[in-house]
Amino acid sequence: MITMWKLEAYTGGSWSMARAALIGTALGAGLFVSLSAARAQTITVWSGYPEMAPFYEHVADGLKASHPDLHVKVEAIDLREHEKRIALALTSDQAGATIIELSGSTAHRYLENDLLPAAPNDVSTFVNDPKNFDAFFANDASKDKIVYAVPLFRGQGSLYYNTEMFAKAGLTGPPKTMEEYNDYAKKLTQRDASGKPTVSGWSMRLSGGGQGIAEKFWTILFQYGGSVLEPAANGKWKANFANEAGRKTLKQYLDNVYISKNVTVDMPADAEAFERGQTAMFMRESWVIGDIASKAPTLKYATAPLPIGSIALPTNLYVKGNGKDAKAAWDFAMATNSPENLVWLLDKVGWLPNRSGVDYSAVTKGQPAFAAFVDYPKGYKFFTLPSIGPIDEVLTRLAAQLTAAYGNPAIAGNDAAIDAVLKTAADETNNILRRESLLAE
Amino acid sequence: MLQRKRWIFAMIAILPTLVIFACVRLYPIADTLRLSLHKWDILSKKKPFIGLANFSELLGDHLFQDALINTTIIAFGVLIITIPTALVVAALIFHRTRSRFASFYETSIFIPYVVSLVPAAMAWKWIFDARLGPLNFLLSNLGIAPQSWLFDPVLSVICVIILCSWQALGYAVLIYLVGFKSLPVSLFEAIKLDGASGPQSFWYLSIPMLKPITLYVSVVTLVSGFNVYAQAFVLASDSQGAPGRLVRVLVLDMLENSFRNYRVGYAASEAVVLLVIVLILTLIQFSLLREKGRP
Repeated sequence: MITMWKLEAYTGGSWSMARAALIGTALGAGLFVSLSAARAQTITVWSGYPEMAPFYEHVADGLKASHPDLHVKVEAIDLREHEKRIALALTSDQAGATIIELSGSTAHRYLENDLLPAAPNDVSTFVNDPKNFDAFFANDASKDKIVYAVPLFRGQGSLYYNTEMFAKAGLTGPPKTMEEYNDYAKKLTQRDASGKPTVSGWSMRLSGGGQGIAEKFWTILFQYGGSVLEPAANGKWKANFANEAGRKTLKQYLDNVYISKNVTVDMPADAEAFERGQTAMFMRESWVIGDIASKAPTLKYATAPLPIGSIALPTNLYVKGNGKDAKAAWDFAMATNSPENLVWLLDKVGWLPNRSGVDYSAVTKGQPAFAAFVDYPKGYKFFTLPSIGPIDEVLTRLAAQLTAAYGNPAIAGNDAAIDAVLKTAADETNNILRRESLLAE
Repeated sequence: MLQRKRWIFAMIAILPTLVIFACVRLYPIADTLRLSLHKWDILSKKKPFIGLANFSELLGDHLFQDALINTTIIAFGVLIITIPTALVVAALIFHRTRSRFASFYETSIFIPYVVSLVPAAMAWKWIFDARLGPLNFLLSNLGIAPQSWLFDPVLSVICVIILCSWQALGYAVLIYLVGFKSLPVSLFEAIKLDGASGPQSFWYLSIPMLKPITLYVSVVTLVSGFNVYAQAFVLASDSQGAPGRLVRVLVLDMLENSFRNYRVGYAASEAVVLLVIVLILTLIQFSLLREKGRP
């Protein structure tokens, strides 16, 4: 083995020069890297919707001209895991600036505890301008009239239906009342020789984790004039589903599962089932349009508004950070709301942008399925989740009660049993509100 | 004097380990005990002392009761399946030690223990799928009606037990194999001379002599059974496209209370209950097996 000193002996002074050159190069490279690192600025985007990652990357690409040294790291994960990391991260200090995608109702707790800073003046002016945002969205991004976030998109439900299956069943248009939903589901269900459904007439959200089950229940409840929570005076709330509207809603679920047998608990469900032709209709947000375009582009389908109205769940961008990093993060949040980026969001991802005064017609004309989300009938109503601390607990616990009810054939067709289930669930909701001093007695 | 120096040396040598153990094990346990007596929403700086209110609320919480019952059934189900199966499998592999396939048998059994949990659970999810799964296909061919494995309240718990047992088996077999290899050969030769058959020597010699191993394996299996979470989560939750009933287990309930419901004090009280249960069961196992188990 030739050691270094031996090599030097063989090559004489030229080795010393080579060594000096090597060290110099290494130091130079190190210095270059350090300077680059010092100049480069990194901000992180936390999203709870993996399909949003390409949008944020698109926005980052567009920012390169004005922010050449800005590096945007996009971390988009499942919503429930996203909520957990926010709960853990916001209570501890972290380096750099993070743009956090969060619904207004969930952000409320963090704002109450001063864990998210107010938006700078220019952002606040932009959000409060009625030309940019309806008061509904501006209020959702604010607390006590102070703006904390930039509104971005909303979850809004509509009916998706398979037009080929409708035509085959002799149905020319979507159902317009909740009673029609039952009739349509019966006609649309495809069965095998034994009568067992092979394609569900109406895919209802019957299982799975999280509060989505309760949100879907609330959407149907809303069509009957009910709501999971009803506001009262002084910011108090109470359960509003142990009543006729609640009975009609739960009865509709149970009738479809156990009496008409238009759907079963073990059938494929939701967007995946719709895209595979395993269900004829279901209710979902606008992101499904983008999902269908990428996964089932040949699917023949249409959308329709719900009979009375829909959930509108706004999602906003909050910023956690200080100094120059925070400034860059707010610049990024504002850039998401540029007309070009919002049209891209609607076209490529499918979530509905909240900003008004932007011409989305290029997308909505090209994709008629968006019509149900933007051209809804006059008097169409919307509801959103209340911005109260225990809202997630209320919905998660209600979801657990509903899942058990959906799996219980004994209560199908039995109004008294349905009322008992609803009363138990409503009592639990009211107990949570009472514990948090939010119950309207 | 020499003894004192040795003692000091021993203490200094063990001190770093003790410090690390105290930081990563004892402190979190002590803090969990403290938190269980407070109301804390993870975000607020205020943590008011509320005594045993969290524990009294647990008594009437149907989700906690469901989680406790499910977790207990799963933990004991895994124990009941894993220990006898592992003992028999280890005996069979040990009996075939000289076979050229011996290492293949060991590896085949051990692989589920080291394989990543999520893809494994996804594969099991497909097996249990009511419409497309091979399990229902097999049952249909045998004339048995297909079952809603992942939605039925009872079957979904059984699915979690099967998945956990499949995973735990490899480790238990490996430990039992070590135990078999350490048993004195002379005793087996003696019992063979006395005319005992293979099954008899297994029943009357191997099993009693392996009691310390059984104690260790059963404690580890039971404790990990009570900590079940990811299996239940992957099999059923977040499955909007594929129906699945979320089997509520204690760790899942704690996570939900901590990070969705923002009730860390309440979740800590659940953790204390879990700690007490595991401690009591471990003590019972020790008392049942330890004294009699000494060879």
